[in-house]
Amino acid sequence: MKYKDTILEEVCRFLILSIQIFAFYIILNGHLSPGGGFSGGAILGSSLIIIHLVFGKSYLQKKINSQNIPAFISIPLIIYGLLKLHSFLSDTLHWPHPPIGTPGKILSSGFILPLNIMIGIVVAFVLYQAFSYFWDEEF
Amino acid sequence: MHYFNIIVLLSLIVFSIAISFIKNLFSTVIVFMIYSLMMTVVWQQLNSPDLAITEAAVGAGITSFLFIAALKKIKEVKK
Repeated sequence: MKYKDTILEEVCRFLILSIQIFAFYIILNGHLSPGGGFSGGAILGSSLIIIHLVFGKSYLQKKINSQNIPAFISIPLIIYGLLKLHSFLSDTLHWPHPPIGTPGKILSSGFILPLNIMIGIVVAFVLYQAFSYFWDEEF
Repeated sequence: MHYFNIIVLLSLIVFSIAISFIKNLFSTVIVFMIYSLMMTVVWQQLNSPDLAITEAAVGAGITSFLFIAALKKIKEVKK
């Protein structure tokens, strides 16, 4: 379903870019400032929903093939599980830790940054998939 | 700042009562969206900006989208 509205399309072309930059900022700064994987992923998912509503499903289909979305959801979840398993077992089994880094920098606090990125990807695609089930009734 | 908090909390009560009394379902969704935005301000006033960001993204954004999509489905079934 596509609404042919030139003003809406041109405004959204700039708005979606800033929404996505803000979402990536929240995900990457999740361990330093308010936010994190879930909040940033929800914002990223809402930007995908806006693209779907404004430019139509075929426009998003060119960028992201909808048959690959289950893989986009499951592969980060598997990586998340493996990283979390490593962080649970590494203390008792004396496995190597990731470098802690200097506090306050982006590359710090060990596993939290990759876990936030994985959760952000999962939440964004799950919310988009839930919306797309409602809107297009394709199961 | 004290009066601001009282106004926001009273508006939350008014919105939540209004949601159950409005007949038009689309208006209900819009009022629910405003309720979530006011809730965001309340979380910020309670010094939890993390919850405020999540409430703004999920409460005002995703939930309203899903409610509007559900309304569209209801209208298609009625036709």
